[in-house]
Amino acid sequence: MGKTVPTSVQRSAAESMATAISTIDGVSAEVSERKSGTSPRSVVSVECIPGSWRQLAVNLRDEHEVDYCSMITGIHWPDGSPEKNWEVVYHFLRMGISDPPVSDGMVEPIVVDPTGVSGKQVPLEIEVSVPIPETREPSVPTVQDIWVGADWNEKETWDLVGIDFEGHLGMRRVLQPHETPAGFHPLQKQHKLRYHDFEEMYDDAQGFLRKPADAGKIK
Amino acid sequence: MAEMWISMGPQHPMTHGLWTLKVKVDGETVVDTEPDLGYIHRGVEKICESRDFTQITTYCDRLCYASANTWSHSYIYAVEDLLEVEVPERAEYIRLIAIELQRIASHLMWLGAYGPDIGNLSIMVWCLREREMMMDLLQELGGSRMHYNFPRVGGVKRDLPHGFAQRARAKVSLFLSRIQEYEALFDESTIFLIRTQGVGYSKPEEMVNHGVTGPNLRAGGVNYDVRTAHPYSVYSELDWEPPVERPSIKGADCYDRYRVRVEEMRVSATMVLEALDKIPGGADTYHEPGDPAILAKAPSRAPEGTSGFHHFEDSRGESMFYIAGGGESRGKQPYRVSIRSPMFITIPYASKCMVGYKVADIPAIMGSFDPCIGETDR
Repeated sequence: MGKTVPTSVQRSAAESMATAISTIDGVSAEVSERKSGTSPRSVVSVECIPGSWRQLAVNLRDEHEVDYCSMITGIHWPDGSPEKNWEVVYHFLRMGISDPPVSDGMVEPIVVDPTGVSGKQVPLEIEVSVPIPETREPSVPTVQDIWVGADWNEKETWDLVGIDFEGHLGMRRVLQPHETPAGFHPLQKQHKLRYHDFEEMYDDAQGFLRKPADAGKIK
Repeated sequence: MAEMWISMGPQHPMTHGLWTLKVKVDGETVVDTEPDLGYIHRGVEKICESRDFTQITTYCDRLCYASANTWSHSYIYAVEDLLEVEVPERAEYIRLIAIELQRIASHLMWLGAYGPDIGNLSIMVWCLREREMMMDLLQELGGSRMHYNFPRVGGVKRDLPHGFAQRARAKVSLFLSRIQEYEALFDESTIFLIRTQGVGYSKPEEMVNHGVTGPNLRAGGVNYDVRTAHPYSVYSELDWEPPVERPSIKGADCYDRYRVRVEEMRVSATMVLEALDKIPGGADTYHEPGDPAILAKAPSRAPEGTSGFHHFEDSRGESMFYIAGGGESRGKQPYRVSIRSPMFITIPYASKCMVGYKVADIPAIMGSFDPCIGETDR
């Protein structure tokens, strides 16, 4: 049998983290049971208001040793409730990585036995959702200085979704061309895919009276 | 001497794809770097919003041309989390075989491309020769050479074909014996050692903070692997351990990153052999496509307010999909698909690693991180 982290250990570690961070104002955390294939996994699912996000991020980094920011996703919900017109979803992992020790001038690799981890060494998945109320200029505080890995994730989220990150240094277009018009963020829902707004230009440019296969469908 | 900016790319042998590395040099020394990405941004995330869950797999294959299978599996695990599908165990074993064969093929492609980067031309032909064996095996499973479209929501497209196990065992065993040839070619080549040892140092804590994972992290002397920390598929059933390197005091250099990938190919190959022995029902039985033994029934619509995500160990680091389901109004389509590409995060870090080294070290350092622009730009 292979060496993997026991699910019960992960579950109890997730529960203790969820109770600890729920004490912060504006933060509610719970453990959600998810399944990947056949093996169950525990995820700490956190809801946090934008005002508390910075405090929660520092708490996660310092108290719970969450050392890795995996992904930042921005979502535009134009038909959602006024309290949640935009959403930023953060995914973190607690990896428990430290630099290997040096003895006699040689580095000793850290070989953790996943079956025997305990305390803050238990790997965990954390999902933080920050809803943003209806606004034309959505923004949340940056965590670029806490996890450098969030740097390019935030750039990408602003570039594609248009959610700004207050305090982010060096914000710029990363995936789209540098000369993209200001205010154009393609993953906002008012931008339709295909020809919808360019009928004259593309749809019948050569006089074939073509229609896109999904014309009229909601995108 | 005056400092100046020079552009490496978008067409440059160092880039392994289409991107620009702006380098600020002071004579021959690199002072500052700035990567410029997005040349082949295809808008996959937007396209996915107007495709059915089952149709998206083909787009995910095309995210990376060297490692297509791991990317489509990465998506499938996220969508199965969203739709709450139980996958048959036999299908999980077949997936594991497909993923690990693809990992070997991807690492071989990297090794074959890294040799010419630093002046060892013959290794490319050797690696592509062995990669061809892996491609043949994957072609038997998926039906095409590069973009397999192999996994399905709830299972896999086809069972292992007749005689696959025998051919796979023969080819993988042959490959295992040939890894020694690469080591002989690389580890005893003075040019290779001079160009890779002592350049591009990186330390694990810094790497994790910068979001660098996978083989690049394990080269730094820690054995973190998503497959053991957050087990999925049937990795917990097999007897294996992620390989780990002993770096120098200053951190992992290019040579350590090369070593860890070679070891990882060994581990993947033995894992394939073990999975062929352990697969439930035996490797020689064949089920027709759509049989419940290899494909579970899956819902095609996601309820409102649900989301699915899955951390996945790609050949280049931790990849991930986040999928938000949209309820009835969206039909069979997702509301939002977001892709975490390991190289998108690693390339800025690798660029910072070069500061202080010579211009001639740039290909050696950049190549050792295994960049792939298809997934970076999406």
